[in-house]
Amino acid sequence: MNLRAIGCNVESAAVELREKLAFDAAKTQRALAELTARFAAEAVVLGTCNRVEIYVSRQETVAALHVPMMAEFLSEIHGVPASAIAPHLYEHADASAAKHLFRVASGLDSVVLGETQIAGQVKDAFESAQKFGATGPLLNALFPNALRVSKRVRTETGIARGHVSVSSAAVDFVQQVFSSFADKTVLVIGAGKMGRLTLKHLAELKPAAVLVTNRNPERAASVAKECGGRVLPWDRLDDALAQADIVLSTTGAPEPIVSARRYAERVRPRRGGRPQVIFDMAVPRDFDPDIHDGDAVSVFNVDDLGRVAEARMAERRKHLPAAESLIESEVAKFVGDWNRRANGPVIGQLTSEVDKLRDGIMVPLLAKLNGKLSDAEKAQIEQAFRLFQNKLLHGPIAALHASSHEGQSGGLREALRKLFGLQG
Amino acid sequence: MSASVLQNVTHSCFALSYLCALLLELGRTFWPGKGWRVAGLAFGAAGLVAHSAFILFHQPTPAAPYGSLLLLAWVLALFYLYGTVHHAKQAWAVFVLPVVIGLVGLSLALATAPNASEFTVPEWAAGDRFWGIVHGLLILGASVGISVSFLASLMYLLQARRLRKKLAPGGAVPMLSLERIETMNRRALNVAFPLLTAGLLVGTLLLSQGHVTGDNWLSLKVLTTAALWVVFLVLLYLRYGGHVPARRLALLSIAAFAILLVALVAAHPFAEGGAK
Repeated sequence: MNLRAIGCNVESAAVELREKLAFDAAKTQRALAELTARFAAEAVVLGTCNRVEIYVSRQETVAALHVPMMAEFLSEIHGVPASAIAPHLYEHADASAAKHLFRVASGLDSVVLGETQIAGQVKDAFESAQKFGATGPLLNALFPNALRVSKRVRTETGIARGHVSVSSAAVDFVQQVFSSFADKTVLVIGAGKMGRLTLKHLAELKPAAVLVTNRNPERAASVAKECGGRVLPWDRLDDALAQADIVLSTTGAPEPIVSARRYAERVRPRRGGRPQVIFDMAVPRDFDPDIHDGDAVSVFNVDDLGRVAEARMAERRKHLPAAESLIESEVAKFVGDWNRRANGPVIGQLTSEVDKLRDGIMVPLLAKLNGKLSDAEKAQIEQAFRLFQNKLLHGPIAALHASSHEGQSGGLREALRKLFGLQG
Repeated sequence: MSASVLQNVTHSCFALSYLCALLLELGRTFWPGKGWRVAGLAFGAAGLVAHSAFILFHQPTPAAPYGSLLLLAWVLALFYLYGTVHHAKQAWAVFVLPVVIGLVGLSLALATAPNASEFTVPEWAAGDRFWGIVHGLLILGASVGISVSFLASLMYLLQARRLRKKLAPGGAVPMLSLERIETMNRRALNVAFPLLTAGLLVGTLLLSQGHVTGDNWLSLKVLTTAALWVVFLVLLYLRYGGHVPARRLALLSIAAFAILLVALVAAHPFAEGGAK
């Protein structure tokens, strides 16, 4: 195996550099074409907002690509000095590169541990490289394996369980109360950034209607336009609250806009016991926390959502050792399988070469002794040559098999090729 | 399945299968993985098969506490299996199986050596006793509804508690949404009330015509069944007319289930002071 994973991520390079090294479709195509043509390498370019990585594999008989060469290459593609790139690049070789890809695809190397989006990005990167004919035997085996491992990690461990962002945690809460959203109404009060972000997640549930109210009618209209909602005048806030099943409040009001008393007198009696979930994303808070009863009304503020998101992340971290262990075993399996596959032709060639050597000595010898030996004696001599050959080859072949389990058979294969004059 | 094989099926067979299914389900809540669920389902299904075989062979009467509890447990076991298959991500079994196991255990405590009968129409289903059976089956149907309502109420209270405490959604025991649980509860009650009313009417007619011996108007069974009906009436009124918080309705549903258990057990000689 002559595999390298070279690149930078959010930990090794600042966003300014990652932006400069970002690959669009044209640059990806160019890079893949260059890598295959210039270096006779299989290649996949993986570019996301958090990482830029190039996976390259070359014949075992040629030198591997390393960071300086890749920095030069990236410099040519992006027009950034190689000296500015190289210090921020990391390099993983062979089994370590496979492990890195498995971890990346499983979301273990992501900023948000266990995020699922990266698996799709890995798949897209691989399919794009395949489309340009830049992949070969190793990467064609490695990437589908990475995607399979990613699926195993997500399903067999809790690494991807639950939402871990503050805004998406709201969706988890709302799903604890409601199961169908086609008949639900969302009310948006105010126009704060966090509220808009949360609304984006809630909109994915496809509620029946979105109502928007704001002290400033123009801002209400702007939010309503953004989310396809309907504007309600600010003085009809109580009506809107009585009507809504999910409330998202993000005003900049200095004190609560809905007190417990106001809610108890003007809203609760009109709801007929229907449950309501209120997300109070404003600081200071818009709703009196005493409104919350966890039955008919549940009020969650930014801290509640943040705590849940953090708890989720902590829960995910607990599954990290299990995920790492699964990846370790999958890497060992992949490398072992690959080496056995790569050993096959070498062992075949080696046996064939020694067969030729044996015949080159044995056939003239038997011809010279023709007439002097019985058939049984000839058979004994042939058997002795074969036995010698088997004993001679047993050591190298056994060492090759053993090293394939250890993931280091590439060097040995190369040594055998040189020692016995085998073709690459 | 031959009669000799069926004869060997005992309460322990299905009770232990259900217990294993419950333990596996609990295991799944702590260590996620497909294996737990599949193994749990296999044990649950095996328990249901054994339970069905036992009922088929022994044909317990729904008119007696032993039979009614065993049949109720069987219907709830069906409910467990259905729920586990259809709500794969929810900890369904954690709620239903303890009730199933409890009912099997209670029936076992009340068992008076059921006779191994042949596959013929049982004595209790023949002749004059037909209306007694109709009464028993109606009460059994209502019991299923009340039991489902009880389970839904337990789930509701737990889910509402989580929301009240603002605990992270999901947790070790993932559950349906409040809305879904509430729908399940409402449907169960809507089905149970007419059945209970009809069962009570048939029972009242039988009592008034003197078809039933041993029981009288002031017997524990009659009184608890009547009390159950009244609780149900209150429950339905509060649900549809009173706008009472769902948490209180859930507590009342749990109380209804407790009364149901007393009503089901009440006909046993122990509960009747050995009169029957």
